[in-house]
Amino acid sequence: MSSKEKEMEKIREARKKWEEGTLKKNLKRLGLEENPVELYTPLDLKDHSFLENVGFPGKFPFTAGRFAIPVLNALWGRGKTLGAGKAIRHAFGYSGYGTAEDMRDFYIERGKTPARGGGPNIAFDLPTQIGYDSDHELSEGEVGRVGVAVDTLKDFEIIYEPFTGDMELDKIASNWTINGTTNIILAMYIALAEKRGIPLDKLRGTPQNDILKEFVARGTQIFPVGPSMRMTRDTITYCTEHLPNMNTISICGYHMREAGATRVQAVAFAFANAMAYFQTVIDAGLDIDQFVGRTTFLNFGGGIEVLKEAACRRAARRVWAKIMRDRFGSKNPSHWIYKELGGGLSGYWTCTKQRPLNNLVRVAIGAVFSAMIGDPPILEPPFDEPLGLGHSVEARQLASDAARIIMEECRLADVQDALAGSYYVESLTDRYEKEIFELIQKIDEMGGAVKAVESGWMKDQVTQSALEYLNKMETGEVIQVGVNKYTEPDEIEVMTPRTSPYKIKRIEDAERRQIENLQEVKRQRDNRKVQSCLEKIENAARDEKVNLIPFFVDAVKEYATIGEICGVLRNVFGEAQ
Amino acid sequence: MEQSRRIRVLVAKVGLDGHDKGAILVSSRLRDAGMEVIYTGLRKTVDQVINSAIQEDVDVIGVSLLSGAHLSIAEKLLRKMEEKGIKDKLLIMGGVIPDKDIPELIKMGVSGVFTQSSSFNEMIDFIRERVNKAESK
Repeated sequence: MSSKEKEMEKIREARKKWEEGTLKKNLKRLGLEENPVELYTPLDLKDHSFLENVGFPGKFPFTAGRFAIPVLNALWGRGKTLGAGKAIRHAFGYSGYGTAEDMRDFYIERGKTPARGGGPNIAFDLPTQIGYDSDHELSEGEVGRVGVAVDTLKDFEIIYEPFTGDMELDKIASNWTINGTTNIILAMYIALAEKRGIPLDKLRGTPQNDILKEFVARGTQIFPVGPSMRMTRDTITYCTEHLPNMNTISICGYHMREAGATRVQAVAFAFANAMAYFQTVIDAGLDIDQFVGRTTFLNFGGGIEVLKEAACRRAARRVWAKIMRDRFGSKNPSHWIYKELGGGLSGYWTCTKQRPLNNLVRVAIGAVFSAMIGDPPILEPPFDEPLGLGHSVEARQLASDAARIIMEECRLADVQDALAGSYYVESLTDRYEKEIFELIQKIDEMGGAVKAVESGWMKDQVTQSALEYLNKMETGEVIQVGVNKYTEPDEIEVMTPRTSPYKIKRIEDAERRQIENLQEVKRQRDNRKVQSCLEKIENAARDEKVNLIPFFVDAVKEYATIGEICGVLRNVFGEAQ
Repeated sequence: MEQSRRIRVLVAKVGLDGHDKGAILVSSRLRDAGMEVIYTGLRKTVDQVINSAIQEDVDVIGVSLLSGAHLSIAEKLLRKMEEKGIKDKLLIMGGVIPDKDIPELIKMGVSGVFTQSSSFNEMIDFIRERVNKAESK
């Protein structure tokens, strides 16, 4: 027997003695049949090896951290000029409403946005996301509502008016929450840059461009899965060649988590989707290391059971490293980590409309665990998210301050991977790794994520999990304070003032103004040229091998609308079911 | 109470909002409560919803909205219901709807609004009570 085995034997004996003695006595005293709390010991980490399972930050398998030094966290509040305390507002920069003019004025009034280089992080309205013009029947009531309306390049020209000089397109990065129409939005950015004489290789930005999760959870898919995957392939191959500094995709687990996926499902499905995208690009002839450095992840979502979330995140790092190194054969270790904007979150779905200030507590707890595993303590969402669209400036302030308290008062970034070596967290991390791989294997057996999405399996799995959670809420197995417990009449609603960052009045007539703008653009443009561009797109779309982005660039320069372009594509591709 | 027939509900997503977790969960719970539920799927126009409601001869039209377009969509739905002579059907709405808009929706003629702060049982009881009341008239 080795010394380690001897040590384990001793612990096993001691545990048995404790269970039969101290524990039993106390259970009896409290009238309990079994222990309501779990206890983890070295016995739960029998095959665990520090070097194999954890290792050093920035080194395979990256469990301890994706980076040797988690720069944003480590330098936060230490007088360095990385803008960390400000950078936390990056995610809050996500905004958009009304018409292009409304957004232009919004950026002018706010000055520099908090995103990289001060670039915009744009929310688009649903018609723009789903490829309908503002005057389409289905767009009625939706124009400028959940984001800014974009019909033509003209709108992009106006939105980007404030971004000149030291905020010119080659100095900023843009974020676009756009999926089905990514390549048209990208074409507008390219057209805008060409008009301004900015070399394309200087353009930086990130489109979301994760269409598979739209089918599963977010619902803005336009075309069937096959042609949708082709569009993603087009983004990646085109950008690799012409826009080498442009991120091509931001793969998300979080929408699926929000729709009900478990933490393991969210990570496994996001990875399976990522693998499907990468495979289409490899099939198009690129080497994994040529393009993967420009792919990113948004985040995997989260939940309020933060120790489990922390373990799952650490497992995700390990799983991804193994997928990149072993499955895709990536030779560059910096490509073995997932590049993620976010970090751990407590989840939007855990936030409640009842007593909404409690959400600040929830997201702060999520941010604590995020900081403890070396990820930025992003406090998302601001507390008033469940009350309707548009976070108040007060909610954003409270969220920013909480992040600063976590970092600069609690000093949670003074130690890296603080949870390492915890019997509980390490054994959970190992368990989640196994479960994530098992789920990926299951999807492999189905023929990969494309098949799993096409057949509706992935969505069904998410729905099933949502129903299981709902059952737990109803039986009280899962508690939400103020929702299914502590709702007696002597509990009170607590609220603060809320000021919208937007000019609400403008939203009300945005639709009328946007339709007028669109009609004006249509009057001014050369309709013959537009028709010819649309015909070329339609023909090109019929050949699966052709990259459509150059055709989109030509069309948007003639002020073809997103609805017109998607219209001809719908003719060829059909519509998502 | 004996029911002459099962209550029929059309659960609909109107407009472009793709968040369907709520609609799916509501459908499932109403089915558990013994109702017949037809779910339209995403992105239906007002006309499509009203036509389905007539074809399926439902008692209740339930619309799930998270995009903030609830006021204009409610107005269109109610106008169409009037036009087609199906004002007797219950129109209920749910989703992310700010409290301040609820009285306005009710004033317009929406029978009930159920948001995150409502329980499924509240909704089920409401539907049973209102449908039975309408039938006993």
